[in-house]
Amino acid sequence: MLMGLCSTLFFQESLGYRLTGSGGDIGSWGHEYVRNLAGEIAEEYTMRQSEEASVEDLMDLVKQIVAFHMKHNAETEAVDLLMDVEDLDLLLAHVDRTNFRRTCNYLTSSAKFLPGPDDMLVLDIAYMIYMKFEEYPNALQVALFLDNMQYVKQVFTSCTDLLRKKQFCYMISRHGITVELDSEMVADKDDRDMLQDIVNNTKLSEGYLTLARDIEVMEAKTPEDIYKAHLLDGRASSGPSVDSARQNLAATFVNAFVNAGFGQDKLMTVPSDAASGTAGNWLFKNKEHGKTSAAASLGMILLWDVDAGLTQLDKYFHSTDNPVLAGALLGVGINNCGIKSDCDPALALLGEYIDNEDSSVRIGAIMGLGIAYAGSQNDQLRSSLSPILNDAKAPLDVIAFAALSLGMIYVGSCNEEVAQSIIFALMDRSEAQLGDALTRFLPLGLGLLYLGKEESVEATAEVSKTFNEKIRKYCDMTLLSCAYAGTGNVLKVQDLLAQCGEHLEKGDIHQGPAVLGIAMVAMSEELGLDMAIRSLERVLQYGEQNIRRAVPLALGLLCISNPKVNVMDTLSRLSHDTDSEVAMAAIISLGLIGAGTNNARIAGMLRNLSSYYYKDASLLFCVRIAQGFVHMGKGLLTLSPFHSERLLLSPTALAGIVTLLHACLDMKSIILGKYHYVLYFIVLAMQPRMMLTVDENLKPISVPVRVGQAVDVVGQAGRPKTITGFQTHSTPVLLAAGERAELATDKYIPLSPILEGFIILKENPDYREE
Amino acid sequence: MLTVSVKWQKKVFEGIEIDVSLPPYVFKAQLYDLTGVPPERQKIMVKGGLLKDDADWSSIGVKDGQKLMMMGTADEIVKAPEKAIVFAEDLPEEEQATNLGYSAGLVNLGNTCYMNSTVQCLKSVPELKSALSNYSLAGRSNDVDQTSHMLTVATRELFGDLDRSVNAVSPTQFWMVLRKKFPQFSQLQNGMHMQQDAEECWTQLLYTLSQSLKAPTSSEDSDAVKALFGVNLRSRVHCQESGEESSETESVYSLKCHISHEVNHLHEGLKHGLKGELEKTSPALGRTAVYLKESLIDSLPRYLTVQFVRFFWKRETNQKAKILRKVDYPLELDIYDLCSEELRKKLEAPRQKLRDEEGKKLGLQTKSSSKDGDVKMTDAEAPSNESGESSTAAQQEGASSSEKGTHMTGIYDLVSVLTHKGRSADSGHYVAWVKQESGKWIQYDDSYPSVQREEDITKLSGGGDWHMAYIIMYKARFVSM
Repeated sequence: MLMGLCSTLFFQESLGYRLTGSGGDIGSWGHEYVRNLAGEIAEEYTMRQSEEASVEDLMDLVKQIVAFHMKHNAETEAVDLLMDVEDLDLLLAHVDRTNFRRTCNYLTSSAKFLPGPDDMLVLDIAYMIYMKFEEYPNALQVALFLDNMQYVKQVFTSCTDLLRKKQFCYMISRHGITVELDSEMVADKDDRDMLQDIVNNTKLSEGYLTLARDIEVMEAKTPEDIYKAHLLDGRASSGPSVDSARQNLAATFVNAFVNAGFGQDKLMTVPSDAASGTAGNWLFKNKEHGKTSAAASLGMILLWDVDAGLTQLDKYFHSTDNPVLAGALLGVGINNCGIKSDCDPALALLGEYIDNEDSSVRIGAIMGLGIAYAGSQNDQLRSSLSPILNDAKAPLDVIAFAALSLGMIYVGSCNEEVAQSIIFALMDRSEAQLGDALTRFLPLGLGLLYLGKEESVEATAEVSKTFNEKIRKYCDMTLLSCAYAGTGNVLKVQDLLAQCGEHLEKGDIHQGPAVLGIAMVAMSEELGLDMAIRSLERVLQYGEQNIRRAVPLALGLLCISNPKVNVMDTLSRLSHDTDSEVAMAAIISLGLIGAGTNNARIAGMLRNLSSYYYKDASLLFCVRIAQGFVHMGKGLLTLSPFHSERLLLSPTALAGIVTLLHACLDMKSIILGKYHYVLYFIVLAMQPRMMLTVDENLKPISVPVRVGQAVDVVGQAGRPKTITGFQTHSTPVLLAAGERAELATDKYIPLSPILEGFIILKENPDYREE
Repeated sequence: MLTVSVKWQKKVFEGIEIDVSLPPYVFKAQLYDLTGVPPERQKIMVKGGLLKDDADWSSIGVKDGQKLMMMGTADEIVKAPEKAIVFAEDLPEEEQATNLGYSAGLVNLGNTCYMNSTVQCLKSVPELKSALSNYSLAGRSNDVDQTSHMLTVATRELFGDLDRSVNAVSPTQFWMVLRKKFPQFSQLQNGMHMQQDAEECWTQLLYTLSQSLKAPTSSEDSDAVKALFGVNLRSRVHCQESGEESSETESVYSLKCHISHEVNHLHEGLKHGLKGELEKTSPALGRTAVYLKESLIDSLPRYLTVQFVRFFWKRETNQKAKILRKVDYPLELDIYDLCSEELRKKLEAPRQKLRDEEGKKLGLQTKSSSKDGDVKMTDAEAPSNESGESSTAAQQEGASSSEKGTHMTGIYDLVSVLTHKGRSADSGHYVAWVKQESGKWIQYDDSYPSVQREEDITKLSGGGDWHMAYIIMYKARFVSM
């Protein structure tokens, strides 16, 4: 035994002497010695693990080293050592008030690079440390990241301060998940109602309008204000004498996106005078199914303001024109997106239209419910939507939208029953139906159920191997990409890249979702994101045409609402591609990367594209939509599903974006066909990119804040600055991608360390006026 | 008895009592009093759906103190407009063309850009189009030969095709007829048809049309083409040696702009072009002598064509060389000082009137805002332009005899430019730039029409290797008296 030990220790010399030696204070030999020792322990540990030898003597040493590191500002090394010896629990005993933040910071950011299930373990430890030091907002953040409702509840029960609980509610509402507060979490009923209101996002509209008024952008904008045709050469006077349905439809969308949430615009909400209702007029300037999108745009304009929205949409409910009615139903869904209410107006209103005989009305209701109840896992909806999937008489488009809506409602839930219904629906499809463009929504609905749930998808993935070969691979790719979305799993990226490397015969469509999958998996952290962008450049050069069509969309997803210059250049180049579908995808993606930023450079590019493509109605339509995206919410909104300093990924937001991108894989038959209203799925990802400070009574107050580029301070010594190149503003302020805010005054204490969205400020009792 | 509160729009009605023994319709009637929304339009959300008029309160499970939400308005229901809106997509292809605001391009059939650009320039003359449409097969007079007739018909057809089509038109028929009539255009080089001089094409085509469009009465006045494009010149031929002087008149279809070292501007070139020297036998001297010929314009055409004499025969190289000199031309041309005395007298009154009108408009505008007068100038011109156009239209209807209402002013507006790019007339590329009725400029580069800015049109004046004006056409501005 001793001989064996010695032979293995031959290379780990200092460790050998340490173990055979007398012990004593480990620090007396200095840092370098301890560091060296830690390295040798890690090697020795793996060796012994493989030989299944005892590691007890090593663990004693580990304890000493960790204690030493934690005392001497070397938290990162302590964590590394403990990860190597797989005993992170030890950390809990050694953290204290002075070093727990740095420790947890390192833990949470290293989690992104760890393979499962280690990452969960690391975050568990981080959660426990935060709880130990009553750092509840951070603990809640980790709990949300883990999607662990038990932990969320624990945060509420451990915290006794009502005001802090309010802040938690704001954080939950931003994440977009449904949480029912119970008496354990908040004892008092009135308090609970108030907190539930915050979780239900009922105050979102108010806060957003406060921001808009502060920035002075309340004035409604027309599509012409966005197109800025007067800046183009020679086209200023070219107003067509006859309405073009395509152009009017584009204007409808642009108007909806630009005025989203402001409650007023110049096309749909203008007060209709008795003789010739102007609002009615614009509605009827859209053709057939275009009227659906027009009526629904009202829901977008009044986004989040349920009372006003329902009042305004009411008039369309009495229309005898089916597309208008369908639009009204969809509008209600959009209007209620992310807002919950115990009256459940969306369910009450839309429920009775689910089985309407007109399929456009049915789709309107189904899609509306999917948007309004995304992530809610509402059983009542399941029982009414599931039967549609297996209804032999239902048309394909109704089935496709039902599957999609169920996927949205049960996003990331791994719900077996929903999965079963969708699987059966897929199996029932005839050969011809499997070739239809809309069929892609069935696998997508299935994939959304497992969004970000990694291995949980495996059983379903196994079942999908039995599908008809026309859809099998597509389903496979969609499931894989959804399940690993936002995990940064490098192995899965490689799998997907390998799929893109194949040169297939015509007709196979599964490489599209594979390309999107690369972006979905890699989008979670900066390093992987940059690598993915580079890989996609390669794919673009060597891939077949069907891959090239998906690459711009993948780039759009990677940099959504974050206009990186290199991506912008690539997309600008692709927007002039000879293949019109590549060009269309690139144009839409230009809109996505600039969404809600008012980015002048992208706006200029799109303007030039609008004159370049002025004769091609389809491409021009895409340009208009992209222009609408760029000026979304007049620049107050973001589409990024990431929030809380890019740690958390909102599942519903991602579901909305991914659905839109899948629809864009076959632009001609979906968005340029009669299902253009799938564009409204993007509403799920629309969030104000604001920082709004409120006082203890939740009334907005203005305080000075510094806003600057966020700096990565993980593992850095001392107390480095967290932002750079900052400017001082007073709240409410807008935060661009990669920006971070910090209070510039000591008068108040923010109740959450992450200054995004709604922040409750408490007066600092130690503050003295100077 | 239950007490509930009802939320409607932004208002909350507290403490509304429900008598559970009566059907919900009664409750709705209660709400009608409060909100003014008729019961049939009320939507009240309860658990699991909407409140039905005949539902049973006990099964709905409304609790005391519950908050209900009501939706509904007393607003008018949106109705579709009575007149259905017509969308561009629904229109037949022919009508879509008119919506673009300009007509289609012409396909290049192999070095036929000289012909395409000529056709596009001539097509911009509406009067020529209407004259052509009146030309009928039966109305063919005997002195017009078969090929001229065919060319006229082909021109008419081509103009019609261009107006109707959205996509580029292939002028195959027209080209065949043109080559038949003028065999010089069939010249081949390396098995390809050669590039030709657009000016030659322009002149020949116009000449043919003028022949065939002559009314059967064959009096001078009824020559439609001549009325449109013809310029009468009165020349004084003077011999310095002998002091002889004679005068002659001639009619031309275009003025020449000679380009020499002194010429920088169209005006100078035109003056230069109207002066010439010629050698002829002098009866007085009994030998050939140099005569000076000075011409002045005697009558003004509706469309003034100016040809830049950019090509000359270089004897040493035996080829047509091109003068690249930059010669500016204005968007608005005044040729008053090229006119003869009599014509000037005639022009006096209308010109005064035009000045007054413009002055009046300017005066009005300066009152409203004295700033940026330059911009206003161009604004003010536009309407006067339109009135000119409408009056010409009126004039046409009432035949050319009734010229009471409108008068020439000697002021012309640029309407089309035919440019050449390249170093010799038989090579390079011809392009037409035509102003549309909407005021937009369209560049017709064979099959590709594209919109251009007005300021770019004046940049075609030469001096480099860019497109440069070769033939330009002005339209007369009229004033009604």
